[in-house]
Amino acid sequence: MAAISLLNPKAEVARAAAALAVNISAAKGIQDVMKTNLGPKGTVKMLVSGAGDIKITKDGNVLLHEMQIQHPTASLIARASTAQDDMTGDGTTSTVLIIGELLKQADIYIADGLHPRLLAEGFDKARAKTLEVLEKIKIPIEINKENLTDIAKTSLKTKVHPNLADVLTDICVDAVLAIKQENKPVDLHMVEIMEMQHKTDTDTQLIKGLVLDHGARHPDMPKRVTNAYILTCNVSMEYEKSEVNSGFFYKTAEEREKLVQAEREFIDQRVKKVIELKRKLCNGTNKNFVVLNQKGIDPMSLDMLAKEGIIALRRAKRRNMERLALACGGIALNHLDDIQESQLGFAGLVYEHVLGENKYTFVEECKVPLSVTILIKGPNKHTITQIKDAVRDGLRAINNAIEDKALVPGAGAFELTAYNELMSFKDTVKGKARLGVAAYAEALLVIPKVLATNSGFDAQDTIVKLQEESRLNPEPIGLDLTSGEAVNPKEAGIFDNYIVKKQIINSCSVIASNLLLVDEIMRAGMSSLKG
Amino acid sequence: MTTREICSLQFGHYSNFIGAHWWNLQEFSFSFTPDDYSEINNRVLYREGLTLKGQPTYTPRVLLVDLKGSLNTLAEHGELYDTSSSPKENEIPWHPNRIEVKEDVKKPKSEFLQDLDSGPSTTVNKNYNFETNVKVWSDCLYTRFHPNTINVIKEYEHNNQDAGFDLFMQGKQMWKTEKFEDDFSDKIRNFVEECDSLQGFHVILDGNNGFSGLGSNCIEHLKDDYDRKSVLAIPVLPSYYNDYSNETDEEQRTSQIKDSIRVINSALSFTDLAESSSLFVPLCTSKDGWRQPGLKREFNHVQYNDKLMYHTSAILASALDTITLKYRLREGHYSLSDLCADLNLHNRKLAAASLCLPFSFNEGADLIECLDNWDGPLTQSITPRCTIGTDRMMQLITLRGIPEDRLKKPYDKAGTQKDLPAYRCKNVNEMLNFYMSCTTFGTATNVTNISKDVQSIPILAGLHSCNEISATIESLHTEAKKIKVERLPQFTSTGLEKDEYKECLEKLLDLKECYEENYLL
Repeated sequence: MAAISLLNPKAEVARAAAALAVNISAAKGIQDVMKTNLGPKGTVKMLVSGAGDIKITKDGNVLLHEMQIQHPTASLIARASTAQDDMTGDGTTSTVLIIGELLKQADIYIADGLHPRLLAEGFDKARAKTLEVLEKIKIPIEINKENLTDIAKTSLKTKVHPNLADVLTDICVDAVLAIKQENKPVDLHMVEIMEMQHKTDTDTQLIKGLVLDHGARHPDMPKRVTNAYILTCNVSMEYEKSEVNSGFFYKTAEEREKLVQAEREFIDQRVKKVIELKRKLCNGTNKNFVVLNQKGIDPMSLDMLAKEGIIALRRAKRRNMERLALACGGIALNHLDDIQESQLGFAGLVYEHVLGENKYTFVEECKVPLSVTILIKGPNKHTITQIKDAVRDGLRAINNAIEDKALVPGAGAFELTAYNELMSFKDTVKGKARLGVAAYAEALLVIPKVLATNSGFDAQDTIVKLQEESRLNPEPIGLDLTSGEAVNPKEAGIFDNYIVKKQIINSCSVIASNLLLVDEIMRAGMSSLKG
Repeated sequence: MTTREICSLQFGHYSNFIGAHWWNLQEFSFSFTPDDYSEINNRVLYREGLTLKGQPTYTPRVLLVDLKGSLNTLAEHGELYDTSSSPKENEIPWHPNRIEVKEDVKKPKSEFLQDLDSGPSTTVNKNYNFETNVKVWSDCLYTRFHPNTINVIKEYEHNNQDAGFDLFMQGKQMWKTEKFEDDFSDKIRNFVEECDSLQGFHVILDGNNGFSGLGSNCIEHLKDDYDRKSVLAIPVLPSYYNDYSNETDEEQRTSQIKDSIRVINSALSFTDLAESSSLFVPLCTSKDGWRQPGLKREFNHVQYNDKLMYHTSAILASALDTITLKYRLREGHYSLSDLCADLNLHNRKLAAASLCLPFSFNEGADLIECLDNWDGPLTQSITPRCTIGTDRMMQLITLRGIPEDRLKKPYDKAGTQKDLPAYRCKNVNEMLNFYMSCTTFGTATNVTNISKDVQSIPILAGLHSCNEISATIESLHTEAKKIKVERLPQFTSTGLEKDEYKECLEKLLDLKECYEENYLL
């Protein structure tokens, strides 16, 4: 009898073999669900909710978020792999597959009587070795368009259909290269992602400037201007009555009116300052003036600005203040006292696009835009969501490559090489722990196996073929998914992120070992609270 | 006069129940005939929109949050804007045969919703058995929402006993996830950007689960980004939970733990609200509120089942509808910020609400007689553990549904009415004001009266800032202090420190002191 049952007879307990069986079956279960997703030939899943909401995805991360996972072990694995996505933006499906496979392999050895502790030890040794292999196999790269295109394409082809993947690859690479500044880490927030329900998915485009999801709120403001000064500010141009002038305090209507007027005057002064500057800089030239305000602008102020032909947008996104400064130059102002020309930004073209009730303002033709916008288009909501997820992952993949300054050959090449190395390493390991190393090596092969199965090839055939090829060839060998033959991923331009692989190796080994070492699962709550 | 818009936010299932009733109420009182001039300005709460196909829409300016699985048959993005049906398999651009379709069982719509879909006016006099059929708030929802309105938290599941969204800290963490904060604050911004002169925000939030944390953080965000707008927060407490129907000891213990968790959540959220909202008004239809059901508040002539969210939320919704009327009128300059400024003097951020439903008024009687014969207080408090007194308070009373011609009889027919001092009052407002000044002491009362826009029964509702509120806070403090938070692993594992909790309790005491007279004098 488990000790817990002495304390709480109602506790549910599963011990030793049973506990392990629970964990392994959960891991297998979640692996089965995710298996078909892997790789560019994996299945797309369309989820339709009871109320008719549609979600189309191929992304493991999205799927895990959508699924209702009840089983505690399964949800532990799911959390580990979504954490993988949070950190690196890719590799969710792989994580689930490898954890599942590690436990599956372990099951075979444990059935033969091997103690889980020894297996875990072997896993740990194998993990260290695999990381060594990873260091060896990684290819240092220069940050140029070609290399980044390869990595982005590999990532995107596993998320969306090939035509769209090509479009998105170029967009993502150009976006990151545009905002990249020498010797500074890339801030992906400076790529704005804007969506428009309009046209088709392949009309998605990169705007070298900024797109805001709102427009001028005054009918007389121009809809399109060229050569525009951009004033970005965080200054309220909206009259708000102060609390002192509320119900209980004023005696007569006139008194109240006076207070209102005095306060109104204060706001007008601010607007006049902008107008003054506009007159000074633009009158008599072909230049125009645009105000982008993070705070509100009320109809009276809008009216004053409209009379001067100034475009004014209110309630801009907080993050857009930063983006605007990077895209058009200038600085975001917190007050309007003596504004200078040098504090303003500049854009060649500012225009408005209306779509139903949504207005979009394009700020384009900036001189050196260090902030850009990816404008996602699609005929319906679910397409847009799918593209948005893909674009995020694409950008992350590129950014990872820039930070790692290295890539890893893809198409299962890394796993095959690691398998070979581990098999020879196994013989140097003393004692039963070597079985753990062997299990680990087997488990890694799940990636090329599933890639092959998903592309309609026989897993065993393929693995044998690839192993033969890699014995003859010193270069890493991967799987060509269209022919089922061996291919050199370097030549085919298929690469994975170094950091993604590293994370997978680390987190999978740790989680699988932990799950193996569980010898008791109990479900019991705190019985009393007070006292 | 320009419309002074209000943006509404709803966090949590019970809040959404109240919201559903609230929006239903709004739409039932819409008048579509141009000459029937309504005193209420619906554009305060509603917005005009345009679909991609060019059809105009009129939807509430509201954002709501709920958990996965709580919507039943309601589609997340609504049906107004996106009417596209689900694509056929061959329309998905992907390798053929590599597409999997996972379709949940299509949930049948309830009879009520089906009738709504088929056309208006069939629903009026039909009995739909809402008491048994309404499981979630969308089952009784009449209103159509804007596609941005509904936000579903995918991480937690509605009615999941094992891994619920029960903790204040979970809510706080949820807000901080980049995806949620960015998306949600962007949606708020989108609604606010449209408004020419926004008054402020109505935030209805569940007062004792994860949503209170989420809501608190959102209110903090509102304070940061829209610093001069008022935020009226309404933490709501259901008067019944499923786990109260326990039979075994074991179940009873879990129920007690859950109650303790709820008390802690309330304590934490109240301290947060006292800091970041302009005014907050906790509402509950039971007297006790914090722990175990307690007695339900009785309203004359109203029978309701306090175990049904459907019933209790309807009462609270009608109270809210009347309380907030003052600044939703077409005429008048009174705004939400005035209301907050009137009631939150000396940092008295917590206000109590009361309701008289219905304001019973006999056939053929006049207001003057009715008030003269009134026994006991006019209204029943709907704030937990608070009995509204008669001494020194700031209050705002709203009465709707009493037409001016029912004020008093004309002089020649008045009879004994003439002898009453109130007979010289010329209108309903004046009379009610006079009544209030006679029954209370040292009280500033602000009275509003609406006679139109009432279809069935008169309602009287009030907001009060009075000394008795200290009892509300004190009882919460006493309950919360009994709990040893370090013995609840749920809280410590979500990052609530013992000291933090202690500090929260002290802040509650500070808030309580604001309501004590010796403090004021």
